[in-house]
Amino acid sequence: MIPFILKRLASILLTFMTVSVIVFLMMHAVPGGPFDGNDMPVSKEVRDKLMASLGLDQPLYVQYFKYMWGVFHFDFGVPFQSPGETVVELLARAWPPSLILGGLGVLIGASLGILLGITAALRRNSWIDYLASAFATLGLTIPVFVISMMLILVFAVWLGWLPAKGWGKPNSWILPITAYAMIPMATYARYTRSAMLDVLNKPFVTVLRAKGLSERRIIFQHVLRNAALPMVTVFLPMFIGTATGSIFVESMFRVPGLGAYFVSAINLRDYPLEMALILMITMMFCVAYLLTDIAYAMLNPRIRFAGNTR
Amino acid sequence: MTLATTPYRQRSPLYFAWRRFTANKAAVLSGLVLLVLILMAIAAPLISKTGYEDQAYLTQALAFPSSEFWFGVDDLGRDFFTRIVYGARVSLSIGFTAALFSVVIGVPLGAVAGYYGGRADWAVMRVIELFSVVPSLLAAMLLGALTGGGFLTIILIAALFGWVQVCLLVRAQVKSVREKEFVRAAQALGATPWYIIRRHLIANAVSPIIVGFVLAIPLAMMLEASLSFLGIGVAPPTPSWGQMINVGMNFMYFYWHMAVFPTAALAITVLATTLFGDGLRDALDPTMKGR
Repeated sequence: MIPFILKRLASILLTFMTVSVIVFLMMHAVPGGPFDGNDMPVSKEVRDKLMASLGLDQPLYVQYFKYMWGVFHFDFGVPFQSPGETVVELLARAWPPSLILGGLGVLIGASLGILLGITAALRRNSWIDYLASAFATLGLTIPVFVISMMLILVFAVWLGWLPAKGWGKPNSWILPITAYAMIPMATYARYTRSAMLDVLNKPFVTVLRAKGLSERRIIFQHVLRNAALPMVTVFLPMFIGTATGSIFVESMFRVPGLGAYFVSAINLRDYPLEMALILMITMMFCVAYLLTDIAYAMLNPRIRFAGNTR
Repeated sequence: MTLATTPYRQRSPLYFAWRRFTANKAAVLSGLVLLVLILMAIAAPLISKTGYEDQAYLTQALAFPSSEFWFGVDDLGRDFFTRIVYGARVSLSIGFTAALFSVVIGVPLGAVAGYYGGRADWAVMRVIELFSVVPSLLAAMLLGALTGGGFLTIILIAALFGWVQVCLLVRAQVKSVREKEFVRAAQALGATPWYIIRRHLIANAVSPIIVGFVLAIPLAMMLEASLSFLGIGVAPPTPSWGQMINVGMNFMYFYWHMAVFPTAALAITVLATTLFGDGLRDALDPTMKGR
């Protein structure tokens, strides 16, 4: 296991560095600079001075190595769009709303999805099975901003039950959390159902039934445990995908989270923030996949690490 | 000819696939919906009264749906039904072309990785790993900003993120077929690797390729809608549903039709394509069902 983890860590480092180079180059290849905006025109001398003070007049490779040197010391620079704080401080301020809404969304969605999937698998071809499939298909195919739009239209505009936007009151959290919960719920309903059905058809379940074990114990002690394996693998990546905030959900529900910065960092050529966001999410995905593999191996001793390359 | 009169008739695999497909009601219905959408997109100039950017009804701007304007009039005095129908053109053509490009990139890479294994496989898998860890929408937005958006670039961006799935499907199929006896036989007879890949491996991977193609369509359509929603996709006045949803958001409290129709159009199209693709997958390869 240790050599496997070391090998994976090396591979993660390689991936991370490749992503950083590609993104850095792409970012600087976008025409225009951070001080070319029309709302605050500056003269050429001032702009040159500003660029020089931020080190943007140096050759690209120098800028890249300087920035990456900082990254390895957990210094992501100062965001151009709000120079009063560091990127790390900005993330610490803007992330909590996304983390709360997205995290709650994933947790609620995943639990509901698992329940739905279990029920669907146990009552195959019943109305609840069809309902689960319908939910799973809808949640996985309809873009999240369309779901958000439908939620706003129905619950805020027509019925007027819930506020469409805002962050302060808890009842304004309901709609964004619902929007966030759709994808995890759909994913889990689908995975749980197919994993449960796989296990339910195994011979050992028939043996357990023949030995007279109660159906409840068969399901909860044996089937669910075996079905949990594929369910574990999707959780972490999904959590990261959701809890880093969605540009769409946050812009539609006016949540002051991380999402808005994805767009503004690109539009305002805010290089330090843009790099920080992409590198941070990339790193979290890498770690999530590694942890998932380790968890998978611990739950399933049949997996061996000798030279397997998935 | 006694052989022809025997009661036993040999059926082709395609026949069984067709039977499995038609037994799936949701897939057949989606196929029909998709067909109607495609016909509407092709016949757009025939079924709409004006061009998609004609501000013919400025005095009736934001009018609600009526017998004259089925989907109402938008804020700039354009017939909204016309806009939606032309939006289908944009969405479907981007979806199909991007899926085609995904296949063009994904199939050779998947075949090479699956057949040669070793270093080629390692290289392809590292590239795929890159795509799995980078937040795709962020990268797509960056690319959109880099290229300035536009019809063709959106297609290329969607293909860039769509080929991975096709590649993995083809790679898995090629890997399993590579070990079969007939491939060994072809190798023994001196067939070149290129010939084997083209003639045997890709031919045996046709089902996953078709499935990968169809399932790449909704992904591309969703990416286009997302980018257009954010204002870096297809530029106005070319009608795109994502763009219309974005505009509709500002009007939805008073002029619901501005938000409802593009939302519904996008949802129905993506849903129909996905269900059609799922049905096709189950029909062509029953062992993959439910995955």
